[in-house]
Amino acid sequence: MESSVQSESQIRDGTHGSPRVYSGDHLPAIRRELEYINRIGKRFVAAIDRFQVHRALLAALQELYSFSACCILLKSDPYDLFIIPCYPLDAAFLESMILRIASAASVIDFPDINVSHLARTAYFDAPDELAQTRTPGSSSSTQIGACLNIPLTVENRIIGMLSLFDEKPGTFDAELLQTMIADYAAVALENVRLREREIALWRDAELERQRLELIIRSMAEGLLITDARGAIKSLNSSAQQLLAQVQIDFTLDIPLRQLAETSNVPWLPRLTEIIDMALRGKTVTNQELVAGLNHDAGEAVALTLSISAAPLHDASGTSRPIGVVAVLNDVTSNKQVERMKDEFVSVVSHELRTPLTAIKGYTQHLVRRIERRIRKLHVTQTRPASTSELPESYDLRSLNIVQSQTEHLERLVNDLLDLSQVQWGQLKLNYTTFYLADVLAEHVRSAQASAEQHRIRLDIQVASSKVTADSVRIGQVIGNILDNAVRSSYA
Amino acid sequence: MSDLNDNFSSVSRKQVTELYLKVIRLIDERVAPYLGKATTRALVQGAARRVTNKYPFLSCLMKQPYTDLEPSIIQEQLSGVTPAELTAGLDALLDECFAGLRELTGDLIVPPLHREVTDQLRQLQ
Repeated sequence: MESSVQSESQIRDGTHGSPRVYSGDHLPAIRRELEYINRIGKRFVAAIDRFQVHRALLAALQELYSFSACCILLKSDPYDLFIIPCYPLDAAFLESMILRIASAASVIDFPDINVSHLARTAYFDAPDELAQTRTPGSSSSTQIGACLNIPLTVENRIIGMLSLFDEKPGTFDAELLQTMIADYAAVALENVRLREREIALWRDAELERQRLELIIRSMAEGLLITDARGAIKSLNSSAQQLLAQVQIDFTLDIPLRQLAETSNVPWLPRLTEIIDMALRGKTVTNQELVAGLNHDAGEAVALTLSISAAPLHDASGTSRPIGVVAVLNDVTSNKQVERMKDEFVSVVSHELRTPLTAIKGYTQHLVRRIERRIRKLHVTQTRPASTSELPESYDLRSLNIVQSQTEHLERLVNDLLDLSQVQWGQLKLNYTTFYLADVLAEHVRSAQASAEQHRIRLDIQVASSKVTADSVRIGQVIGNILDNAVRSSYA
Repeated sequence: MSDLNDNFSSVSRKQVTELYLKVIRLIDERVAPYLGKATTRALVQGAARRVTNKYPFLSCLMKQPYTDLEPSIIQEQLSGVTPAELTAGLDALLDECFAGLRELTGDLIVPPLHREVTDQLRQLQ
């Protein structure tokens, strides 16, 4: 076993690296050494947890030394101390061991090592199968006879320290002092640490995966995930239910574009278009898609989906998306409510316009009659009275108010109809060229008539402002501004 | 090591530094087969940490392994330090290294190594 230790003479001679010629006497020794290395190496390689490493270490060391305890101090958060006694030890002996370990560790890069913390947190691991018996008649000692501390290094990095203790002095000698077993132990312990870390990370990842799966499964919105080719890789249960309503069963792993070319489903090209836009890196929001008829409620209702799709990028941040995540919202009921509201508005507007037309017509008729009568009175009276003193003048003013309010009401009804048209994208503009001042003057006159208590003065800065626009819509805008101004102004 | 101090009075800082680095490398060579390659570096860093209060100019040995240090770079950090002070500091560092080695292995490798290092220092001065 001695030859596994590089002796000082070997180092000085520099014989390493140069071919050696071994005599027949050396060969059996080398074979024995290789068998030994192979045997203990196998024990360490087979160890899958730290306790198996402890057993391998204890077995390997017990072939070389007779000792009382073996301890392993590992750098973790902050330090882990494992005490592996060969037989029951006195408490004072254990305390002395921990003191010596802390003292030795402090000289080789174990900063802030704390004896009381080590004593509190030390693990005891005493494998029964490797337990030894004391020499008959000997009693447990309270003092350390011999001690040896060997740093555990992996790739020139100290990961811990192996300490051997014996009750008898002079147990350890330089001839048997070697790093080989410590190196095996260090690598095995590092492997265990990495394996534990890997298992912990895998467990965390699996928990996170399960949590995400639960969230996706619980989502009220449908979720559709594709790969970079646009093939559906995953549909959550809400998406499956939505698509089942329109009797379509997506074949997973076939690109949507390919499906759209071979399928006669009319809305599939639109869905493909949305997914393709996201695959080109664009985020698409609230795209409506009428996906066939839903027969569930007894009557056929067009299933309307609102789709938002976003590109999925991997952690490396490459510009090309690795897929698309699309959220499907069933907005059929919203659309139905909107349609019912529009129908209601349309009906109400038409019903209101009929009496309004009659009121407006008769008012105009009465205004003209009174205007004619006032003109006739002016002509026939010998002593002409002031126009404002005539009772017809009061009637005319009242009728003008009725007329302007009727026009106002008509505008409101028209606005309701327009709103409905705007929502459905059906508003058409009729462009003409006109003077803005004329439209302004007309609306100021109308506003003035319906707001007697206000004095509205129109100050036009640019009289010849000729514009090309829809004069009716511009008039609506001006009328609304004036109405709001009158309503919000003091008399 | 302290009996060697007086003999360094006539040498430069650079010579002193190179001499002690050579000696530390010798310790490393002897210790590595027993305790691994990283041990001497950790021992020197630990020793520097303990002596840096008294010899602040040795803090460069605390921050990085002695193997990464270039004598020319150390010279810049040692400006204002006399060769005698430097010798005393590096001597204290060696003493702490041996104390640390003794903590680890008791008297298994320290006595012969200490003798060898003392002999080398004498030969090289």
